[in-house]
Amino acid sequence: MSRNKFDVDEDLNVEFNLDQVKRLLGYVKPYKRQIIFTVLVMLICSVTSFAGPYLIKIALDTAIPNGQIPQLILLTLVYIATLLISAYCLKLRIRNTAVMGQSIIQNLRRDLFTHLQLLPFDYYDSRPHGKILVRVVNYINTLSDLLSNGIINLITDLFTLFVIIFFMFALDYRLTLVSLTGLPLLAVALLLLKNLQRKLWQRVSRKQSNMNAYIHESICGIKVTQSFARERVNLGIFQELNDQYRTAWLKAIKIIILVNPLVENVSTLVLAAVYLAGVLWLVRGTTVGVLIAFISYINSFWFPIFNLANFYNSLLNAAAYIERIFETMDEKPSVTDNPGARLMPPITGLVEFVNVSFAYEEGEEILHEVSFTVQPGETIALVGPTGAGKTTIVNLISRFYDVTAGRVLIDGIDLREVTLKSLRSQMGVMLQDTFIFSGTIMDNIRYSRLDATDEQVIAAAKAVKAHDFIEKMEEGYYTQVNERGARLSVGERQLISFTRALLADPRILILDEATSSIDTETELLVQQGLERLLANRTSFIIAHRLSTIKNADRIMYIDQGGIVEAGTHEELMKKRGVYYRLYLSQYQFLEVI
Amino acid sequence: MGFTLLNLIPPYLSGVIVDRVLLRGEKELLWQVVLLVIGATFLKSAARYFYRLIFEHISQDVVYQIRMNLYQKLQELDFTFFDQARTGDLMTRMSGDADAVRHFISWVAFSLVENVAIFSFALITLFAINYQLALVLMACTPLICLLALRLSIKVKPAFFGIREQLSKLNSVVQENISGNRVVKAFAKEEYEISKFSTENDGFKEKNLQAIRIWERYLPALDAACGGLTVVLLLVGGLMVIKGALTIGRLVIFNSFLWTLSYPLRNLGWLINDLQRFVAAAAQILALLEAEPKIKNSPTPLRKERLEGQVELVNVSFSQESGEVLREVSFTARPGETVAIVGPTGSGKSTLVNLICRFYEVMDGEILIDGVNIKEYDLTCLRSNIAVAMQDVFLFSDTIEGNIAYGLPDAGLEEVQQAARTAGAHDFITKLPAGYDTIVGERGVGLSGGQKQRIALARALLKDPAILILDDTTSSVDLETERAIQQNLKSLYKKKTIFVIAHRISSVCNADLILTLKNGRIIEAGKHEELVARKGYYYTVFQHQYGDFDLAGSEEAK
Repeated sequence: MSRNKFDVDEDLNVEFNLDQVKRLLGYVKPYKRQIIFTVLVMLICSVTSFAGPYLIKIALDTAIPNGQIPQLILLTLVYIATLLISAYCLKLRIRNTAVMGQSIIQNLRRDLFTHLQLLPFDYYDSRPHGKILVRVVNYINTLSDLLSNGIINLITDLFTLFVIIFFMFALDYRLTLVSLTGLPLLAVALLLLKNLQRKLWQRVSRKQSNMNAYIHESICGIKVTQSFARERVNLGIFQELNDQYRTAWLKAIKIIILVNPLVENVSTLVLAAVYLAGVLWLVRGTTVGVLIAFISYINSFWFPIFNLANFYNSLLNAAAYIERIFETMDEKPSVTDNPGARLMPPITGLVEFVNVSFAYEEGEEILHEVSFTVQPGETIALVGPTGAGKTTIVNLISRFYDVTAGRVLIDGIDLREVTLKSLRSQMGVMLQDTFIFSGTIMDNIRYSRLDATDEQVIAAAKAVKAHDFIEKMEEGYYTQVNERGARLSVGERQLISFTRALLADPRILILDEATSSIDTETELLVQQGLERLLANRTSFIIAHRLSTIKNADRIMYIDQGGIVEAGTHEELMKKRGVYYRLYLSQYQFLEVI
Repeated sequence: MGFTLLNLIPPYLSGVIVDRVLLRGEKELLWQVVLLVIGATFLKSAARYFYRLIFEHISQDVVYQIRMNLYQKLQELDFTFFDQARTGDLMTRMSGDADAVRHFISWVAFSLVENVAIFSFALITLFAINYQLALVLMACTPLICLLALRLSIKVKPAFFGIREQLSKLNSVVQENISGNRVVKAFAKEEYEISKFSTENDGFKEKNLQAIRIWERYLPALDAACGGLTVVLLLVGGLMVIKGALTIGRLVIFNSFLWTLSYPLRNLGWLINDLQRFVAAAAQILALLEAEPKIKNSPTPLRKERLEGQVELVNVSFSQESGEVLREVSFTARPGETVAIVGPTGSGKSTLVNLICRFYEVMDGEILIDGVNIKEYDLTCLRSNIAVAMQDVFLFSDTIEGNIAYGLPDAGLEEVQQAARTAGAHDFITKLPAGYDTIVGERGVGLSGGQKQRIALARALLKDPAILILDDTTSSVDLETERAIQQNLKSLYKKKTIFVIAHRISSVCNADLILTLKNGRIIEAGKHEELVARKGYYYTVFQHQYGDFDLAGSEEAK
């Protein structure tokens, strides 16, 4: 079992590469029009902002020295007009980039979440849940600015850069070439930093993930922590994780914020070179006027480069998150609809296992060539030691896993030939782990059948004797419960999830230790209610309390990866085999007395 | 702050080059000035680099401390708090909100200082050049501040909205992940996606609401700052024409105007970030200020080792939904096993929670070794009680780590011993990695009975004075349960043990069996006494073993 825990850094399966950039751009593509529009707006904006200084120049050079008040007023009016245009452009830009950025992360997050729904139990079982959570929420949030403002700036900056280089060439090609020497220098420096930066950001994201995982677990397991008075130890562990994150961050930031000064210093060196070359070449045709104009260009030449370097910086930062997001999206669902899968027709309830073998991990068979047939309407009880494979058998009936060898058939149809949804929506499974969603009790029960009316919910609750305790709660069925199901005892939670399973009106009902924490009296009442409801349904029951299983049509004793015995209670008692011994073992205590 | 002034040196030196070197031909100055420019830039960027680094350090230290405080608070808060809190919401505070605070300090506070420095510089220079013109320009700034203030007021609720939606998003994703088995069992993936989409779309919508405010105010602020130039041209121009100002001064004034408008222009963004910070900080503070109802008494009693005599005197407890326990009284002496049976919801687990002081008794008192549990130091009290909870929660750690949860320093030997007593050793050693097997969060991947036994081993390792087994063996097969009981009997002779169970086999050997119904003790006694009494216990016994005489007695004997 290669599982991950909170203080173990996750491995990375796919490194950030060009394919991932392409994939990311796939999310940007639908907003092509907004990008083009915004870039155009930005260009208009920069044209008008160029006009500003020019207007001031006229005012200072002619209007004011000549005392022409009307001209001065005219100039200021024009200036106000440029301000208004700029403001309007800014407004358009803010709106467009925001809509774009938010929509892109909305889509990305939806795809990630949708993909998560396809992933098997193993995926969730093999890593702390907090690590999955940060990917869906925090990681994706960090991308919003990069994918909106970042991209718009990238385009406008590149555009400005080319325009300026063009003007610079037009003015003086030699000085331009001198200016451009700075770029390879910068590129080399940035490339040298790149690998270091990548590694450092990856470390930050791993440490962040570890810390979040631990926080998540600490919240979910708080009751255990407090009952073991382990608060101080946990605080120490958290301090360690918190510290690792801080250290990783500070180490990374030390390099990341080097980029700005780097660009700044290179730009100054280039500027110095231009001065020197310019003055040197003054004798060879470069005029003073050209040099002055050139220097003003060179300042605007570095501005976009500065922005581009920052974009590059944020991209490297985001890469550490992007690779994790795509890694999750590339995770293969183990059980999926096969090509050409059809809808499962309404189930009558004939369940067949034909030479079924199953291993969670290669070489460790849990089930070995198990075969049995269950007739529609039969109630089958599965007994046997813990870990013998009872839960595995029922998991295979719902096709939570695919068999390693052999076939599982319902009504003669191999489960792999039908769609998962059409199959599972006809099954009612009540698992060992009850899970309560935050919301009202009514919503929790209705989870299995969203269109059920309140009356149907209440009827189901009455059938499994959950009605009484629900009614007693302060707001009855509308009492709010939280997702850890606090305030409800395990028995009450089991009754709720029992009701939930029943409400689905399933063709096949599976109860996996569904009643272990329900008291015998209630359980008996539940069973009486169930008997009527289950008359025509195939059902599988796993339980340890023998009173729960004695009335089953057939009892199968599972051990060592196979069925050791099968038959009715009476038959098995007569047989005096393992079931008989199991049955008697519950009376052994009576001898002790 | 000083380095902001360094910002002004390179442009000044550029001016020198243009004026003196190029226009006046003083070429001998060139080298000196160029070297000065390079030096000044280097100094400036180095200064700014370290300055930023300092802010990063400060922000990390502050957030580090905030996280520590939040985490500590979470450890202290009582069950009542956690009964109401959503995991996703608490996660948001620890991650998103803490990060907003970090961003505020590392970037906003950093920029704030920088902008204030520039602005103060503007005030000094502009007033020095011409105080009248400076006054006129200053007169415009309240207008800009007013705009900024309006933005601040308007944008605040938007940030609270975003913040709340983020928490909802976190919650819906978190529940989906934790409940993934139920989702799959009912094939409710599509429903989950639609639930998620509502919150995901909502998150976009809330963000766009904030955008709608920015797009109204930020361009207006920007234009207003540009308006300063208009005022300068108009008023300054008229002053020049009237002869109150020289044109040269106006030109200098213009070249320094950015020092006034630049900080004002940034004001909008800063305020924006400030409100984001306020929204996040409010949530963090609210959590930090939450007071646990259950706290140590001012003079807590600390005892290394308790004897384990537990006495309940007329204990009552109620919740919003009504009375849970009513006037419960009994005594458990060291070495005794007290079993509690009763229907679902009768108050059994509440009783356990009260003994551990997870909730406070409302009426009556609970005494351990003759002292009210409220007198004890909480850590001391709970270290002497080990509970194997009904609702098994395992951590994503190795099995060894899970068993050693209450005693992190325990050696493998001790862990194995506890596992043996709990009947878990055999199945653990059969796992591929044995005690080093990492179990998933909540222990998924293990069967119910296996989880219960690990939880039991975890409780046993603590070697407490009082052991509480809350429905700990309900999913364990009967033979294993029997073995566990015998182990406990021989190893835990001097301890007080509470057993809550539904299976008669789990409770019948207890020294005292209490039947709890609707929060009251309706029966108390030993197995035989209660069977003879033909009350609730007898009925349960009948349900589970009623046909014993008919079906199995001869075979059994």
